[in-house]
Amino acid sequence: MALGLVKWARIKSPWILHFNTGACNACDIEVLAALTPRFDVERFGILLKGSPRHADVMVVTGSVTRQIRDRLVRVYEQMPEPKFVLAVGNCAATGGVFQQCYNVYEGIDKVIPVDVYVPGCPPRPEAIIYGVVKLLEKLAKS
Amino acid sequence: MSGEYEPESIFEIPVGPQHPALKEPILLHFKIEGDIIVDVIPRPAYTHRGIEKATEARNYIQNIYLCERVCGICSFIHTLVYTQGVERLAEVEPPPRAKYIRVIVSELERIHSHALWLGVAAHELGFDTLFYYIWRDRELVMDLLELITGNRVNYAMSTVGGVRRDITDEVAHQIKKGMKIFRERLDVYTEVVEQEPTLRKRVVDVGKLSPHDAVALCAVGPTLRATGVKRDVRADDPYQAYDEIPFNVATYHTGDVLAQIVVRVLEMYEAANIIDYALDHMPGGPIRVKVPWNIAPNEVISRGEAPRGELFYYFKSNGTEKPERVKIRTPTLANIPAVRQMLLGYHIAEIPIVFASIDPCLSCTARFSFIDVKTGKSWVWDREQLRRYSLKWYGKQ
Amino acid sequence: MAGKTSLEEAVEKLKAGIGAENVLEVKYQPPRNVFVLVKTEKLKDAVSYIMKNLNYQYVITITGVDLIKQNQMEVIYHLTDYSNTISLRVRIPRDNPKVPTITDIIPGATLYEREVHDMFGIVFEGHPNLVKLLLPDGWPEDLHPLRKDVTVQQIRERLEEERKKGVRGI
Repeated sequence: MALGLVKWARIKSPWILHFNTGACNACDIEVLAALTPRFDVERFGILLKGSPRHADVMVVTGSVTRQIRDRLVRVYEQMPEPKFVLAVGNCAATGGVFQQCYNVYEGIDKVIPVDVYVPGCPPRPEAIIYGVVKLLEKLAKS
Repeated sequence: MSGEYEPESIFEIPVGPQHPALKEPILLHFKIEGDIIVDVIPRPAYTHRGIEKATEARNYIQNIYLCERVCGICSFIHTLVYTQGVERLAEVEPPPRAKYIRVIVSELERIHSHALWLGVAAHELGFDTLFYYIWRDRELVMDLLELITGNRVNYAMSTVGGVRRDITDEVAHQIKKGMKIFRERLDVYTEVVEQEPTLRKRVVDVGKLSPHDAVALCAVGPTLRATGVKRDVRADDPYQAYDEIPFNVATYHTGDVLAQIVVRVLEMYEAANIIDYALDHMPGGPIRVKVPWNIAPNEVISRGEAPRGELFYYFKSNGTEKPERVKIRTPTLANIPAVRQMLLGYHIAEIPIVFASIDPCLSCTARFSFIDVKTGKSWVWDREQLRRYSLKWYGKQ
Repeated sequence: MAGKTSLEEAVEKLKAGIGAENVLEVKYQPPRNVFVLVKTEKLKDAVSYIMKNLNYQYVITITGVDLIKQNQMEVIYHLTDYSNTISLRVRIPRDNPKVPTITDIIPGATLYEREVHDMFGIVFEGHPNLVKLLLPDGWPEDLHPLRKDVTVQQIRERLEEERKKGVRGI
């Protein structure tokens, strides 16, 4: 009963955390644009948080550089269970254009588990919102 | 940089979540005395991906798409300077119409980048209303960019030998209409910057940089122009069609954060004027010429004025379809020594706005660690906590 | 173009200033650029002559190039008066790459020297703080990614090995 209530609350208002693992900023400005008046992701109850300890969903952009790898893992571990990861952009999915660069890991899923991928270089804000909605469906099933 | 940099001390710092409005993966190690900053040690390693090595394994066309993604905010100027360099390597001249289209897109990009920055700066000051207004108006420019190029951020517009899409009369009309609306919005922001006392209290006489220091530390772009030094690659070393287009180089004399805001607002006006002029005087003809696949051994440099300052590429070719060496110098790296100078002697509360004032473009993992030199105690804040602290500190004043 | 003549004048003055025998090669590139090869021991004289006597104000960047066929490395200093650019270069032996620092003449060159040191292992003698700038914390000291004799594949294998050994931050 109580668990059901928590789950209901989570679906109605997931708190997200944005983490850049060495992206080119293109995905980041589109994630940010999704929060601003034109696209306004807050109407789905989605709220951006500054700390991993408050977050349900981690929105990750970028191709995971070697310097940031251990930091990404640590931030992921700091998030409370259950936790979800949304990989935004081609770099976060496969390394994208940075495949075969010596300092990248080519994809978030090499380091932490990913729930939803949003392809695009960068994906449009609408696509990011769609990805979040897909994630909400997954949350409902969990 | 003075002081010892010890990786161990940074390992203790958890790299945490960031507010997406703040997007620089740089570690700044602050030494403070009381509330005053006495030293800053930057560590900008978090987005190093190894692009320069990767360019050596890709051909000239593939590298356009790689260089576009050096930075997503100034993606067009990267392709422009890259393709301009390859054209110089191959000794090919792009057609005049392509040069004008490149100018138009790069000025639109300057507007979108400066608007983005102004919003971020407003957010740093705790002025979120302004932040949302500006980002709403910025969408207007994004729509125009999408109309011209087909994408909102990475445009894939400039290519070796010209541009990939033409600007039709209908699109030109739309751009002019958009610029008219945007100018009206700019008037509103100018009024805010000139008259809003809460904003002025936070930016006047904060983060001062003298013209002498700015030149000695090799600062570039609006950071340099805000100290009154009238330097702009578009005017000094004109590229593309800039030698045919009249425009003013915006400067302001005070060298503080206010000057940075004023310079960028003025540049947005100038950019709108340049776009209008370029649309009226755009010559006809083809938009692209053929460039040979293999390029004979040669070496050139290519410079351009990105929204953040001078962007520089060095090329060396070796007779094959792949470059021997490509060197990229982005404006933010050039401005890091200057921002260090700007922070010294100011309060912790002023770090967010001073650091944001150079428009750092690295990405999103900044962490600030504080060391109280008297007690040796250290603690770590992320940007969001720091922003809240700064708002609280100013609330007490 | 008027800019070019002033650039030619600048090169003439530089030759007179540091001695014509120390300038080994001059190559003009359109529109406003010249590559000048000087002797390594005259590098500092040339830089300070350009900055002080020719009134050039800033160094755009420092580029390293690995000339593996000649067994040499090249360091290029792009100096500009904002309009004309003199790309001053020196060639140094590949097995012992050392050049004097120019940070005492131009403080803004610190980060560029550190970057070239990271990527090529070129030592800038007299630099106040020649430590890692761009490479990750756990990066091996003897690995320089932009040298031509290492491939991306080799770098990755080496880093994986280091990681297995327990090194973190890569």
